[in-house]
Amino acid sequence: MTKILTKHFDEPRLHELETYRRLGGYEALQKARAMAPAAVTAEVKKSNLRGLGGAGFPVGMKWETVPPEDKVPGPRYVVVNADESEPGCFKDRVLLTRAPHQLLEGLLIAAHAVGAKETFIFLRGEYQNQYDILEKAVQEADAAGWTKAASISLMRGAGAYISGLDTALLETMEGKKAWPRQPPPFPTVAGLMGKPTVVNNVETLSMLPFILREGGEVFAKIGSARNGGTVLFSVSGHVEKPGVYEVPMGSKLRDVLALAGGVRGGRRLKAVIPGGTSMPPLVEKDLDVALDFDAVRAAGTFLGAGGMIVLDESADAVAVAHNIERFLSHESCGQCTPCREGAAWLERILERLLRGGGVPEDLDNLKRVGENITGKVICALGDTVGVVARAWLGKFPDDFKAKIPRGNS
Amino acid sequence: MSAQAPVKSPFSPEQEKILTEWTTRYPYPNMGLVEALRSVQDWHRMISPETASRVAEIFHMPFSHVWGVATFFPAFTMKPVGKYRIGSCRGLSCWLAGSDAMEACLEKTLGVKARAVTPDGKFSWEPMECLGACEQAPALQVNDRLKGAATEKMIATLAEERHD
Repeated sequence: MTKILTKHFDEPRLHELETYRRLGGYEALQKARAMAPAAVTAEVKKSNLRGLGGAGFPVGMKWETVPPEDKVPGPRYVVVNADESEPGCFKDRVLLTRAPHQLLEGLLIAAHAVGAKETFIFLRGEYQNQYDILEKAVQEADAAGWTKAASISLMRGAGAYISGLDTALLETMEGKKAWPRQPPPFPTVAGLMGKPTVVNNVETLSMLPFILREGGEVFAKIGSARNGGTVLFSVSGHVEKPGVYEVPMGSKLRDVLALAGGVRGGRRLKAVIPGGTSMPPLVEKDLDVALDFDAVRAAGTFLGAGGMIVLDESADAVAVAHNIERFLSHESCGQCTPCREGAAWLERILERLLRGGGVPEDLDNLKRVGENITGKVICALGDTVGVVARAWLGKFPDDFKAKIPRGNS
Repeated sequence: MSAQAPVKSPFSPEQEKILTEWTTRYPYPNMGLVEALRSVQDWHRMISPETASRVAEIFHMPFSHVWGVATFFPAFTMKPVGKYRIGSCRGLSCWLAGSDAMEACLEKTLGVKARAVTPDGKFSWEPMECLGACEQAPALQVNDRLKGAATEKMIATLAEERHD
């Protein structure tokens, strides 16, 4: 099967510059730097590379929204979103550990394309092991002269999930509470310190060396329509072999599940969260869904950041929904009232159901409260708060009804 | 704020130097604030109004801003944590793999409730949101470093060998 990012993962010292160079590393950057920035962006547009941090926005198109320097003079920045914290996602951790130079090369290619002289990697604070690896890799890149045209600085977060949302990430970097901004303007127009800023995910940027080396068309062909290349799935939960699996965009859910050894102990599948716990679940009848941004969307959920959690028949949908809503309630930044209050409300209803104190109105309330959050808040976390409980209730109504004792009606 | 008589810094000269360095590390001084607060949390195992106040002076920011940031982020605590701050993941995959039992084990082994510190100051533990290690569920970390899938034996060993 075609591999791009994990192709050389059997090289034990891939994280070192010497090994990365021996395998052709930084040649794509040299090639890109010999090209006009607009030509690099054109190649990325041809590749159909989508934003792999969760939103799936076409990367070349995002870069094109950075205003030209004659229109908006002054610095522009590229920021790597390495604040991976969506429950179920760990592929960025693996990429940072095994192939830091692949990311740095991609980052410097992006910097060339958008005219950035300064770049930043914003890393979640809990990835201290990866911080050490990155720090060493940046030192190596500095010493080799790769960062003369564009510098790379590291910065750590402080434990807030919401910092992983692009505009909240920029607020954190500016030394503020991680309160999402209400776009427009989008970060590419007014981002870090009000300057044009491209924020891209670790996996997204790591794809760029391949695209520049092999060409956008080759990359596009590996994937499905409008979804170029490969995608990394972090597979965990009730599977035999949890881990990171790289597959071409558009691979079937069934095939990714098989790579992870299938459902543990030969049990029956109950649900698969395709992209991280913010995404509604798929079920057994969806096993032939093609895993790309558009097909998963058509199946009623989101590819997200590829954080795939598999649940077998022993899982209780109410307990799962409670775990997720509790998380979201804890991580709500508190800026928008519907999310701040609603998340806690949903958590309490679900907790009551779990404890056997539910009443029939609770199911209507889960729907009603959810409907009053989604679309009425600034950011995607808030939208999710309103969706998750409704999604699990919609797919597994019997699990919820079973939590309401007869005498309570 | 009106001019006040300089008070004695809660930081050592070396620490003062590091905090000042955070104001020049990035293109704008304010960009170093979260990292500076991370340093303070590391040194004192908490952030107090006194230390936040000195950080505010160094960064030329209002105290209210610094305190607002310090109290927003879960990595910063207003009460001390242990020298070894253990995080037990309770994200969905870790919860499926038995994180509740690991939390109970931590409480029993260390003899303190979540976010309390052992009498010798060595340990505190707390449930944490997804640590990004779902394939090693239930994940455990110590001082922001992943230790892997938690077991009762691992927790017992951790409590033993760190009694240096």
